[in-house]
Amino acid sequence: MTEMRFAGFGGQGIIRSGIILGRAISIYDHGFATMNQSFGPEARGGACSSQMVISDTKVLYPYVSRTDFLIAMSQEGYDKFIDELKEDGTLIIDSDLVKPKTDKKIFGIPSTRIAEELGNRIIANVVMLGFMTAVTKVVSVEAMKKTIPESVPQRFIELNIEAFDRGYHYRAE
Amino acid sequence: MDPIIEIFKKGVESSQCDQKDICMVTDIAYHPEVTDYLGMDLFHTSRGRAIPFATGMKLANPRLKLAVFIGDLATLGGNHFVHAGRRNMDIHVICINHYHYKKVGGEYAPGVFPRVPLSPYGSFDEPLNIPHLARSCGAVYVARWTLLHANQLSHAIAESLRKTGFSVVDVISNEPDILDFYFQHSEIKNGEDTLNVKIVPDGKIIVGQFVDRERPNFIDSYNEQMTKVLGDKFVKIEV
Amino acid sequence: MKANPRDVFTGTYYIDGDVAAAYGALAAGCKFLGGYPITPSTEAAEAFARKAPYVGAQFIQMEDELGSIASVLGASWSGKKSMTITSGPGYSLMMENIGLGAAMEIPFVIINIQRSGPSTGVPTSTGQADIMQSKWGANGDYEVIALAPESPQESFDFAIKAFNLAERYRVPVMFMADECVGHMTEKVVIPDASEIEVEPRRFYQGKKEEYIPYRRDQDLVPPIVKAGDGYHLYITGLTHDERGYPLLDHRSLPKIEKAKVIHKKSTNPYLVDKIRKNKDEIIEMQEDHLEDAEVVIVSYGITSRVAYRAFEQARQEGIKVGMLRLITVWPFPDDRIAELAKKVKGFVVPEINYGQIVFEVDRCSHGKANTILVPHGGASVHKPDDILGAIKKIVKDNKKYEQVIEYTTTLEKTIFKGSLTEKIKK
Repeated sequence: MTEMRFAGFGGQGIIRSGIILGRAISIYDHGFATMNQSFGPEARGGACSSQMVISDTKVLYPYVSRTDFLIAMSQEGYDKFIDELKEDGTLIIDSDLVKPKTDKKIFGIPSTRIAEELGNRIIANVVMLGFMTAVTKVVSVEAMKKTIPESVPQRFIELNIEAFDRGYHYRAE
Repeated sequence: MDPIIEIFKKGVESSQCDQKDICMVTDIAYHPEVTDYLGMDLFHTSRGRAIPFATGMKLANPRLKLAVFIGDLATLGGNHFVHAGRRNMDIHVICINHYHYKKVGGEYAPGVFPRVPLSPYGSFDEPLNIPHLARSCGAVYVARWTLLHANQLSHAIAESLRKTGFSVVDVISNEPDILDFYFQHSEIKNGEDTLNVKIVPDGKIIVGQFVDRERPNFIDSYNEQMTKVLGDKFVKIEV
Repeated sequence: MKANPRDVFTGTYYIDGDVAAAYGALAAGCKFLGGYPITPSTEAAEAFARKAPYVGAQFIQMEDELGSIASVLGASWSGKKSMTITSGPGYSLMMENIGLGAAMEIPFVIINIQRSGPSTGVPTSTGQADIMQSKWGANGDYEVIALAPESPQESFDFAIKAFNLAERYRVPVMFMADECVGHMTEKVVIPDASEIEVEPRRFYQGKKEEYIPYRRDQDLVPPIVKAGDGYHLYITGLTHDERGYPLLDHRSLPKIEKAKVIHKKSTNPYLVDKIRKNKDEIIEMQEDHLEDAEVVIVSYGITSRVAYRAFEQARQEGIKVGMLRLITVWPFPDDRIAELAKKVKGFVVPEINYGQIVFEVDRCSHGKANTILVPHGGASVHKPDDILGAIKKIVKDNKKYEQVIEYTTTLEKTIFKGSLTEKIKK
């Protein structure tokens, strides 16, 4: 069983990332993925997060308690959820936006900057999804590449796949 | 039979609407025999909820014409009245104002003039100007008559049933002696601005037809909007 | 009858329980939703509103919940399968007309995505504390059916089930999901229409002039007609006879001939009998390992999933524990609980409230078995360890308790008196 959290701020596609990943795992990889969004005052404009429990069998406990992976797209998201990450857990960050102070395992990618290079910062989350796919191996590349076209408008499919590839092939420092 | 039912029957007949399509929705009980007398269905709902009940009936079967009988409004269910008017929901409200509740024997309500058990020391509240409320909410037809203006009233009910939109007939009713007093003190002013028809203790009771206009009703607007956006894919609710 | 292919959005989705419930309702043939948005149920209404114009269904945002439920009753009389969607505060506002719907014997469904706490509570957090309200929230005697899904897939399936039961028994059906299920996103498979069984409305088939609105045969459920079809219906929330005519003190209806009204019998007993006497057909449970169980977990909704983990752990540790999941919370499986009570040591009842169904379990066990409540205040779900602890306590104590015991991680107290009898550290 793998527990995972995406954290960032509203507008970064944090919830969307969770939906794409969960869909890829549960529909194309035939696994079980239960996603819960964090609602509440923090969801309006400020910090937002989605949590996901991934398993080979039916997920019984729907919330995360100790995460294996934290994907932080903002400093606030990092600050809020870093303590939830297991001792041997893995932190994945947008290296331009998050300055971590931890001795846990870290993988960074300037996802927002890469997205801007590709012409639209709104796809930073897809860059991150590509990177995350390579780092975490919780989902197959094939499943993600089937899911992304179903989750974005027709005219943006190519751009999103390119963003995913840039993230997937990015060599973490 | 209740006089209002007799007048309503005349109104239905002269409106030339198919009485089978008309359903009565009320929030007080009428004699069960009115259904056979009028040849239509009657739904006696919970207090104050006749308007939304009729709204659901209309939307689920647009063929129906809903005659909604309510009592002193803007107390129970006033909000439904306001929003049915705003939407221009195609229902026909007959608001029977006793100015105190005849059937249950004198509960205090807005617009009480005489002393009744729930205002034992006389009343001080101002009654609501129902025609003005109806007009400002968007009603397409508004009239007011006392129950003794039987011909005008049944004509108004017929006119109201012919409209496709939110129409309101404000009926002034009471026990015979008080009603006669109301009748004597009424003044017919067709087309009067509804601002001026508020009932005040020493003034005349202004009756007449105040509003008759056209506005797109809810169902037509909905169908138009969906057709505009969805084109052939839009499926209307089955009648 | 099979579902209409137009109403079924066949496919494999990754959606939340709210959206799944809306798709289920549409698949069941729901054609009217009168609602008012309220967290955490809004996504369900949104999903319905998006799909409705494609399938000949009508969504209207009413002015408030009082209007919403009244419109649903009216729409159902117009012959369409109807529902509303709400959460706690809205549900409370609907109570009067739920009673009217029960009295008029109108088929309709209420989707209640439960939040936590009384009053406004915590809109975005989960709870199961409306479950007693769903049974007898309105005044007077009546019975309803309530269902509790535990996953988005069940949200879809149970929404169909809810409509089928409503149409079958002419009764309000409460779809009692909780926020956790409502906002939980998982895989949902919507099968082909040919695989979905839907209950059509049971319209009266006989001669028009012989129709009597509330005359019923063996199964106690009268056939129904549509408004405006020339039956001269008189339908009222007043207590009525089988013609629908009010049974009142004749003084309040002065013109009525006494004999015409008074000799008829009230239909009120049927409002409860049609459910109670058909309960064996209605009640659905999911049972696991009850054959050898010494302790039985009784749970419903999201709590069942968490409890299942406690169940698995206990079994691994060699404790003979069984699961009884309530799919229909109402009517309650009295007989099954009573039967189990004779042979088990105790029941563990986890619920996201401070004790509601636990007292039903205790009532049905007739003092034969222990009953432990594992309460939860909402905002999250139980820790499986809490449920496991309660199971172990029954096994370890091996004695008969005087009362319902409340088990939490830090303290144990008897309910009713509200006093703490003993404090134990876990």
